[in-house]
Amino acid sequence: MNFFARLLVDFAYILNTSVWYQRKRRFFYNILENEDYKYKKYFDIFMMLLIFLSVSILIYEVKRDAHDYLQFFNNYIISLVFFVEYMLRLWISSSISKVIIHQNEYCDLLNRKFNFMFIVKRVLRDKFEYVFSPKAIIDLLAIMPFFHELRLLRIFILFRVFKIFRYAKSFQTFSAVLATKKFEFFTLSMFASIVIFVSSVLIYVMEANNPDSSIDTLYKAFYWSIVTISTVGYGDVVAVSSEGQFVAVIVILSGISVLAFTTSLFVSAFTEKLEDIKESKIIQDVSKMKRIYIICGYENIAKEVAKKLVSAGFSIIVIDECPHRTEEAKKDSYMALNYNPGSVDSYKKLNIDMSTQVKAILCLREDDVSNVYSALTIRSIDKNVYILSLLMNKINKNKLLHSGVNEILYDKEFVGLIAKEYIGQPVAFEAIHALGSEASIIKMEEIVVTERISSGIRYVKNLDNINFRIVLLGVYKKSSTRFYFNPMDDTLLEIGDYLLVIGNYMFISEYIKHLSKKIKA
Amino acid sequence: MKKHALIFGYNEYGVEIAKNILNQYENITIFRLEKDSDFSDKKNDLTIKEFDLSDDWTGTIGTYDIEKSVVFCSLEDVAKNIFLTISLRSAFSDLFIIALTNNNEDANKLRMAGASKVIPIVETTANIITDMLKKPIITKVLHDILYEDSDLKIEQVKIKNEKYFENKYPADIKWSRDHGVLVISIIHEDESSEFIYSSKTKHHYIKNGDIFVVVGYTKDIEEFKKYVGKSDEK
Repeated sequence: MNFFARLLVDFAYILNTSVWYQRKRRFFYNILENEDYKYKKYFDIFMMLLIFLSVSILIYEVKRDAHDYLQFFNNYIISLVFFVEYMLRLWISSSISKVIIHQNEYCDLLNRKFNFMFIVKRVLRDKFEYVFSPKAIIDLLAIMPFFHELRLLRIFILFRVFKIFRYAKSFQTFSAVLATKKFEFFTLSMFASIVIFVSSVLIYVMEANNPDSSIDTLYKAFYWSIVTISTVGYGDVVAVSSEGQFVAVIVILSGISVLAFTTSLFVSAFTEKLEDIKESKIIQDVSKMKRIYIICGYENIAKEVAKKLVSAGFSIIVIDECPHRTEEAKKDSYMALNYNPGSVDSYKKLNIDMSTQVKAILCLREDDVSNVYSALTIRSIDKNVYILSLLMNKINKNKLLHSGVNEILYDKEFVGLIAKEYIGQPVAFEAIHALGSEASIIKMEEIVVTERISSGIRYVKNLDNINFRIVLLGVYKKSSTRFYFNPMDDTLLEIGDYLLVIGNYMFISEYIKHLSKKIKA
Repeated sequence: MKKHALIFGYNEYGVEIAKNILNQYENITIFRLEKDSDFSDKKNDLTIKEFDLSDDWTGTIGTYDIEKSVVFCSLEDVAKNIFLTISLRSAFSDLFIIALTNNNEDANKLRMAGASKVIPIVETTANIITDMLKKPIITKVLHDILYEDSDLKIEQVKIKNEKYFENKYPADIKWSRDHGVLVISIIHEDESSEFIYSSKTKHHYIKNGDIFVVVGYTKDIEEFKKYVGKSDEK
């Protein structure tokens, strides 16, 4: 390897391993191309504003003289921003350093001579692939007004409008949906082209020598065909001879079928893709959420849990492999996806970070096999996410524990315990359960001791709960993870401890405010 | 105090109920509906008898002292469970019937059929799950108080010595410091339940017959019981 080749390879390795360079590259990739990047939408809005501003200036200039500053802003500043954006997109479209490194490793492995020309060709091929893509061409044309001396090029400002396609996701969805019917649209356009061509020639032949007819050129014949086949029929150019009118009838009939076919194509394309569009919208929404509950399965208990969590203001998403149950969840107005909770792919598609975005995963299928499978799948993805699972048959408890479930709920056991408690202490049981009911105004609440509360209130004796008609059931100490019932007056309150209180929910709310105010004292 | 527990429905729910109330009854019998299911429990030594849905109770619960019996209706088939409840109620007007059901709709039907208490399984399970997620510490503490064998208990204590509380309102007494227990609510003679600090309780002098719902350690509750008068509740 000669000196220059060595230098090139070394430089490629430096770039490829440079944290600073890679961070910058990733940043520009995210801001320009990554739909999931939270700041991308601000960049898109900024670019769209520039486009609208630019077009507005163009419209203003049609009948008036724009101020020099405006022209300067339009011709130079906006064009410069677009140019910088174009170059950045060109930069991130492919990695030159990776091509060099790959070629170097390939040559080393096969003991071949380092081929500089291959790299040049490969890099040019990659870059030209981007340059000749429709979006890049529009970007380039949008920069053209920069050369404002060429007056004709000013009309290229209109190409800036096409740039909106790049920033508005709905346009992209629209074109993606229509792209699924490429073949049908091609067939339709071929049919329409043939009809337009034949009818244009025919009407020209029939009408061109008729002094009463306005169709005296092939261009007018073509214009007449388009206006007629589209069923618009302005009436400014019409066939006057009976032969010409016969051609008109044929074109009108063809036009109706072309229009009907086009409409049906649009409708069927959107109907077929509607579910996919909704699914990608859900995934997009979920990926932005925080502290979400994932409910695996949508059966009786899951339905009730979903209802209660949503009414308490939590975000949930239901995933179920059964289309019927998923549909049910959607009808109940929940975000639901027809994914298999036992498949790693399902969670990858959700595009969420389990450790930061997911509060808990609830395996609520009324079938132990499915719950074990789902729990194992989730645990294989994330070691720490909280998993709660239903247990339907007691003999499967160990299997669920082994699959990594944090909390198991066996409803039959609870029914037994409730029956026991109800028989033993019916009045106490009803009284304590009334506290948990949604209708009751008396609630049990956990109040976390924040830094603010802790700095104002050091000991239990300072809590002042009786004045707020609140019963202090006890303190849950974070340090010892123990609950201290009816704590002594000198019990120290530390940050992270919980006060368990019972009282009227309005008084509790006032009490929390009072605790937080204490700092001022 | 009831002596007999009669559980209708030989299934996992029935067996779990039987296991939990084993120490509270002299005898527990599970009634299996003829040809109902293949369920079998060999781990627990339970008395199993068969019954049908005819109105002839002579061979089944007719042999027990109805006043001292409690019945659990836990048949898996909801329609049969409702039918069983209504049959039992029409035959024994004073019988204490606890019925299990899956949803709220059937819970209402069971109440109309005459069940004294209905446990809606799906709603109860969902409540437990949401409570565990929303208020994990409270749920854990309550679970320990209500269901686990911890020292901390919730009990109902009947006032028999009102003289100790002469001219005093419940909110005026420092229960936790004076007696080591927390009084959560008071059940009046008319069975209405009131939170200890509610406006109504604030103007209610403590009198004999009031039932206090108290939370405390077993020892303190026993002391408290002695103080307010030996209670026959439990």
